[in-house]
Amino acid sequence: MNWNRVFAMVLRYFLYLKHNWDRLSDMFYWPAFDLFLWGLTGLYFAKLANSQNAIFVLLAGLVFWIVIWRAQYEINVNILAEIWDKNLVNIFASPLTVKEWITSLLIVGFIKMILSVAFSALIAFILYRFNIFLYGFALIPHLLSLLLTGWAAGFLVASMIIRYGAKIQTFAWTGVAIIGPFSGLYYPLSILPHWAQTTAFIVPSSYVFENLRQILSTGTFSMEKLLISFGLNVVYLIISLKVFMRMFKKSRELGLNRLVQ
Amino acid sequence: MDNVLEVKNLTKKFGDFTAVDSVSFSIGDGEILGVLGPNGAGKTTTIQMLLGVMSPTAGEVFYFGKSFLKHREEILKKANFCSTYISLPWQFTTMEILEIFARIYEVPDSKPRIKKLLKEFEIEHLEKKHFSDLSAGEKTRLLLTKAFLNYPKIILLDEPTASLDPEIAVKIRDFLKKEKKEYNVSMLFTSHNMAEVEEMCDRVIILNHGKIIVEDTPENLAGKIKNCELELLIIKDENKVDTFFKNKKIKHRKERNNFFIPIREQEIGSFLTALTNEKINYEQISINKAGLEDFFLQTIRKEKQNELE
Repeated sequence: MNWNRVFAMVLRYFLYLKHNWDRLSDMFYWPAFDLFLWGLTGLYFAKLANSQNAIFVLLAGLVFWIVIWRAQYEINVNILAEIWDKNLVNIFASPLTVKEWITSLLIVGFIKMILSVAFSALIAFILYRFNIFLYGFALIPHLLSLLLTGWAAGFLVASMIIRYGAKIQTFAWTGVAIIGPFSGLYYPLSILPHWAQTTAFIVPSSYVFENLRQILSTGTFSMEKLLISFGLNVVYLIISLKVFMRMFKKSRELGLNRLVQ
Repeated sequence: MDNVLEVKNLTKKFGDFTAVDSVSFSIGDGEILGVLGPNGAGKTTTIQMLLGVMSPTAGEVFYFGKSFLKHREEILKKANFCSTYISLPWQFTTMEILEIFARIYEVPDSKPRIKKLLKEFEIEHLEKKHFSDLSAGEKTRLLLTKAFLNYPKIILLDEPTASLDPEIAVKIRDFLKKEKKEYNVSMLFTSHNMAEVEEMCDRVIILNHGKIIVEDTPENLAGKIKNCELELLIIKDENKVDTFFKNKKIKHRKERNNFFIPIREQEIGSFLTALTNEKINYEQISINKAGLEDFFLQTIRKEKQNELE
């Protein structure tokens, strides 16, 4: 692993952000918009239900979903940037290795996720007095677990992008949404129909959101659920990285040049 | 001469279609090899495999005596490429692009190198300009700057002068010749400009349907065509010359008052004497010697004819 080259690619993606205001809006505008709209809706329902917890459950769902979404989205949009800019051949005809590229995508994704979550948490605090630090130290492992979920989803979508190119780019925006309903962002899994509950068993984020709700109501969380989520995430991340490497190899067989024509 | 690049039986198949068919060639230290061929001959596919952005179906590539498959990272530090068909991040400034690639190629003390190359390619005033705002010629010069950033020992140039005006194209060719002379840089060079290939290349291979059909020096290839073309401008004696050609059964083509006669060089003297004897006067005369382009066209035509037969 050559960290100079990793840094070069990190720099490349931050410059890409600097030159693309629409990417900045993805980072700040949409999370803020969601918090305004759904936070106010939550306030209304909290009043109807006469429960302050209801709004916090909703806000926690919004803020922590950003972790998964940003982690997945950053990987995919930065890969797409190489395709849109017709730069893929330049970087892979250079000494840069796929592992270095992946590392740079993870670093950039991590930093931008932290920025997005910090910004959203700040908005949630200013508008609704929702403090994400009320989760204490439990916040860190749960955030990490969600980050791994986002990365696993990101590399699965990236596998398709590197194989089929920009024609399936819509998955970069919508790919991870498929696990949203099974993650129980805003509701307990018990309200899901039986088949959906069964599906939720294999969705790592479902355990994290269950725990986050439990912390809000009881101040405790299930270590078992946290470990299951980590276990599933590690398995999915390994699988998605293997699929990505395989698809990259397949794409190289067909010629990376075809993706930028 | 040590081989900087050695290609052995390189093959690329897409299903039943063979794009590159067991191609073998080498490039020596400080040598410029021209790769010619009609569209679809397999030039770009070959270059992609040599850059590692397409894996071959079979065959091996060695740079500096080392397997490209096993030593990709180490080899690509000392190699680079320029293709007018590839772009760069369009929102980035010239300087941003070069700084990023200097880091990727681990160019030591990159700032002076970047400044020197920008000056060489006469784009030092474009440092802060965005790639999208550059003209086609400026973009090509920036791609060339990127290509020479890492002091490459071998460089693959896919039509590097395609979008340049003649004055800049001459400067680029001079720069490439200087790099070859001073730093012994080896080059693989593709171009549709045959005069340029003749000027630049030490050796040429011609690809057709993924196979090498010819390999030699440009001079030898041009010399394989014995006929040249005699061009005569005849204004007053046009009818006389028509009759003369008809009687003597001389092959020719006519464009207005210009007569083009394919003829062997040693027969020109006797042909002109015969014209004088017939009292046919010409206003202007020129001899168009056969070049690489004539050889290329003749070879490709022959190949097509053979395929039809």
